[in-house]
Amino acid sequence: MIFVTGPLFAGKRAYVCRALGLSGEELARRAVWDVQDLAVRAPDLSVLAAELAEREIVIATEVGGGVVPVDPEERAFREAAGRLACLLAERAETVVRVCCGLPQVLKGEPLC
Amino acid sequence: MFTLVIGGSASGKSAFAESLVMRLPGQRIYLATMRPWDGECLDRIARHRRLRRDKGFETLERYTDLAGAEVPRGANLLLECVSNLAANELYDPDGGGVEALLRGVDALLERCENLTAVTNEVFSGGASYEGDTLAYLRALAQVNRALAERADAVVEVACGLPHVLKGGPLP
Repeated sequence: MIFVTGPLFAGKRAYVCRALGLSGEELARRAVWDVQDLAVRAPDLSVLAAELAEREIVIATEVGGGVVPVDPEERAFREAAGRLACLLAERAETVVRVCCGLPQVLKGEPLC
Repeated sequence: MFTLVIGGSASGKSAFAESLVMRLPGQRIYLATMRPWDGECLDRIARHRRLRRDKGFETLERYTDLAGAEVPRGANLLLECVSNLAANELYDPDGGGVEALLRGVDALLERCENLTAVTNEVFSGGASYEGDTLAYLRALAQVNRALAERADAVVEVACGLPHVLKGGPLP
């Protein structure tokens, strides 16, 4: 599994398409994105991570880099999203963090 | 050696910092700075205690004035975390601000063999903060920069994986 993360609107999906030569339709078939939104509702993050790891490409937006929110629900959302990303990165063969469209390989080999 | 580890919320920075300290021989001390205000703090503390269980850390709690902490000479210290410490130094009645924080870290560096400090990346969620939040962000950023300058290695952690910003290779 290839795990791609990075800030909001960083160009994560465009990068994956570019690096692997995929069309938007192929991306939709082979990848799942915005998985950070699934984390807080998941009864068990490890189970969710295992399920997602079955996919070829998993994409998550990094949400833990701002001021810790005052609202407990927002805090829980960020915590769960961050923990899920750690679990996905553990399972991934390749982890790439994309910032302003540019990849930084955190684990494994570059995609292209 | 002084290593600074930075990352966002739930980025895996603590587990990574612990793994660094685990590679060091000798006494390991976990310098905990979080004041247990409420149930969420207690849960967080319990989670971190679980994380480092069986890793041979002695826990030392100190909320302000690290210069006064009784740290044995030659120990391997894990300071967790700078962002709590900064809040304590800024807002506790007995806090001494950024100056006291940096003085405290310098005192630790004098005494210990290796210092690994964990801090937070809280600076990329917007720039329209005011009042206490803005003052805190400024202070923590100033501290982070000052510590990074002192550090032999600075590592950013994202989804549990390190990216070396300064120095290295890591122990």
